[in-house]
Amino acid sequence: MIETSYFLNHLLDHGFTFSTGVPCSYFKDLFIALEKDDRISYLPATREDEAMGIASGYFLGGGKTFLIIQNSGLATIGDALTSLAQLYQIPLLVIVSYRGLKPDRDFPEHSIMGDVTKPVLDAYQIPYWIIEETNWKVVLDNALEVMEEISRPVCILVKKGVLSE
Amino acid sequence: MKGAEIISKLSTILDGEELIVSSNGNVSRQVYHLLQGDQIYLRGSMGLPVPIGLGLALAQPYRTVLVITGDGNFLMGLSSLTTVAHIKPHNLKIIILDNELYATTGGQETVSSAIDYKAMIQGMSIDSVKSYDMRDDENLITEMLKDTLKEKGLKVLHLKVEEDTIQLENIPHHPREIKDNFVKRL
Repeated sequence: MIETSYFLNHLLDHGFTFSTGVPCSYFKDLFIALEKDDRISYLPATREDEAMGIASGYFLGGGKTFLIIQNSGLATIGDALTSLAQLYQIPLLVIVSYRGLKPDRDFPEHSIMGDVTKPVLDAYQIPYWIIEETNWKVVLDNALEVMEEISRPVCILVKKGVLSE
Repeated sequence: MKGAEIISKLSTILDGEELIVSSNGNVSRQVYHLLQGDQIYLRGSMGLPVPIGLGLALAQPYRTVLVITGDGNFLMGLSSLTTVAHIKPHNLKIIILDNELYATTGGQETVSSAIDYKAMIQGMSIDSVKSYDMRDDENLITEMLKDTLKEKGLKVLHLKVEEDTIQLENIPHHPREIKDNFVKRL
């Protein structure tokens, strides 16, 4: 597992001071770390597309924002992504739990979205990376470089056990 | 009164420093053509003017942020108002122009006529909400807009309005330029 306080410190070093989203149990420890860290605020949204709207507004106001969502939320963000964040060219880091793989075999509600997560991201034309405990800094830095370069949202996929026990 | 007349009226009350987010379709066109400044004119983003205004208000706490939205758009993103109620940004102002129609797409009805906006929004613990029927009465409009924009604190103003007859040109900027112009102005 990635040490969640290191992860947040790294995001702070990149200038992120605000976050929003909808929780997933894969991020339980990350949320505990966020609650303890008053340098990054987190605003709970009611829906993932709303979170993308809030994040976009925050960016337009001069701030830097990341989102935390479950991959089920990829189904909800479609219009906020294509007719707002991508269209207006708003750079956002979207941290997405990769539900529906083997560890979720007892949770059929995640299985179809798990199967289509990568094709959905490809179809949305969002660059994405999978982060692991061993390579997360390099992968995250690369993702953020691409985000700045294209000035659009990018996504990192997080499997079970990577950002929470 | 019609929605466009209320947006026109705003030009006599705004001081030019406000940051405006307008909902896609007719409302954005009216704000673009009838008000000053490089504002955030939404093209798509149906249901998102309130969350965008919320994010902007949090990032710019010393500026007044005004969201102008139609009823169909507002209702699509209704749960966003609960997030606003949770955080109550002091500099956020929301005006809902309610003609009970999806006017931009040809005048199909929304579900708005069933709703008591004042009771609903007060139920979200936004006590400052005001709701008026402007269809037959325009006497109070200046006072209401001033109260919404000049008084401190989170404000929600719901106005029943007549259907617009004004036809305005599309906004001649790509959303990328809308963003760039807005960010430059900041």
